[in-house]
Amino acid sequence: MSDVIVDAANVSRAFEMPAGAVVAVRDVTLSIAQGEHAAISGPSGCGKSTLLHMLGCVDTPSSGTLCFDGSDVSTLDDRARSRLRLRQIGFVFQRFYLLPMLSAAENVELPQAEAGAAKDVRRLRSIELLEYVGLEHRANHRPSQLSGGEMQRVAIARALANRPRLLLADEPTGELDQATSEQVAVLLDRVNADGTALVIVTHDPDLAGRARRVLTMKDGQIEQEVTR
Amino acid sequence: MSLTTVSARVPARVPEGGHPGCCYNPRVAPMHTHRRRGRVAGSVVALSCVVILAGSVVPAQEAQPPSILIARQLAALEGIAVGDEVELTSGEPGSATRRFRVIGTYEPTPNPLQLGVASRGIRMHLTDLLALTRDAATPAGTEHVEGITIALQDPDSTRAFVNDVNARVVGAFALFPGQAAGAGDTFVVLERFHMAIATVTIIAATVFLLALTVMLVDERRATVGVLRLIGFPAHRILVQVLIEGVVLAGAGALFGLALAVASEGLINWFFQWRYDTALIFVHVTPTVALACVAIAVHLGAVATATASWALLRSGGLRLAKR
Ligand SMILES: Nc1ncnc2c1ncn2[C@@H]1O[C@H](COP(=O)(O)OP(=O)(O)OP(=O)(O)O)[C@@H](O)[C@H]1O
Ligand SMILES: [Mg+2]
Repeated sequence: MSDVIVDAANVSRAFEMPAGAVVAVRDVTLSIAQGEHAAISGPSGCGKSTLLHMLGCVDTPSSGTLCFDGSDVSTLDDRARSRLRLRQIGFVFQRFYLLPMLSAAENVELPQAEAGAAKDVRRLRSIELLEYVGLEHRANHRPSQLSGGEMQRVAIARALANRPRLLLADEPTGELDQATSEQVAVLLDRVNADGTALVIVTHDPDLAGRARRVLTMKDGQIEQEVTR
Repeated sequence: MSLTTVSARVPARVPEGGHPGCCYNPRVAPMHTHRRRGRVAGSVVALSCVVILAGSVVPAQEAQPPSILIARQLAALEGIAVGDEVELTSGEPGSATRRFRVIGTYEPTPNPLQLGVASRGIRMHLTDLLALTRDAATPAGTEHVEGITIALQDPDSTRAFVNDVNARVVGAFALFPGQAAGAGDTFVVLERFHMAIATVTIIAATVFLLALTVMLVDERRATVGVLRLIGFPAHRILVQVLIEGVVLAGAGALFGLALAVASEGLINWFFQWRYDTALIFVHVTPTVALACVAIAVHLGAVATATASWALLRSGGLRLAKR
């Protein structure tokens, strides 16, 4: 297996609107390797989230090719693409997107259940993951009973549930205060240190500064890339 | 309508004193046999007719006049009791009156067209009827009857009996109850009326169910979006929503059925009391119940599939973002 997990070659994404097409991402070429820690930053509306969605197979490019593990994503049907998202990619969103009717543990169990893990196996893994994000004592609490930072940590635990090779985070600290953001940032560092490739989209210079590779976007293109 | 009834059209002459039908099948017995043996559930070969009561109840006499049965409602209306003797006339001007003895009452076959009208029916032997209605100019034995209704003791033998009559009696046509001219007309109209009501109800229910499922599915937009983002394939979500829709529709149908069954007795009791009839107004048969559930489940599936289809066409992000 190659070292590259996801490889975008000249990808663009345009949204057809009544007033004309909006080109969110323009001719971007980028690959993310195993264990990498990258951050994408740039002004609002420059196409960061759109690029991240394409990398995570949540959205498809209008042109260019996007390969995941060497296979062209555009040739995959919904079933195969869903499988990829379920098992290979973890996604963390600014708004958490936890299911409000499920407890923290159940939210973490959900992707494992879909992946076919046995009940006791996924129970154990959920508790393990909640311990990992420091929330084992809140396992039976609903999202509405948790703070923003806690919800984001549950969302990270859920994203890691099926041991993905790539974790994508879109403004994971966007809704959190400074201290809580720091907790989440430390947690993400740890996830990466444990071997998961990490791509974070953020406006927060501190969070971006933790990455070894920082990409800066402007008008749908990667304007600058700094690797440390 | 009773399945035990066979309508026989007999255009041929009926010999006086004869009981058409009784010779065709030993199970069919004339009415006087019924009385003599004192059986309750005997077969009856007789004509149902409405005859005008010529006079009031007359005191019983020594010589036994021919026997008749009168409708329960008529008995109540005229204050006639079993054992009384009555005088009947055909109602034709100048027709003679004849004396009859009431040996029992009967419950008239319920007729939806005569709802609220008290039955004044009388059942008598065919020979008595002929004697009563014959005008002076018609020689005995030359009367015509168009048809007689025969009740069989064993309803399952209807087909065999009809075939037997048709094979043996030239010029007589035995028909099944539904085939007798005019016999089913009332019910055909009623069935059409019911079908129209059912169609309108089902269309209205479909619209309602569709609106309900659209709401149900729409409420789940965010959840479906999150599931899609996590990596649940569209078909999995569709199946899940479909199962829920079908269960919901099935549960609704069962609830409706339970309600119908529970209120069936009450509705029948009320209207039977209100119109003094034995007519059954509501009857939930297993076929009706099955049809209800089958229609509901299919409608539920179609409604949820329609509602989910639009939803699943949007990407997970768009749904989750709401
Ligand atoms: N579904 C969509 N339909 C139409 N236009 C869209 C859609 N998604 C994004 N866009 C447009 O694409 C451009 C890039 O959007 P994107 O969300 O990627 O920006 P971003 O860099 O993540 O911004 P922010 O930092 O504010 O989150 C914007 O102009 C946006 O309006
Ligand atoms: Mg964004």
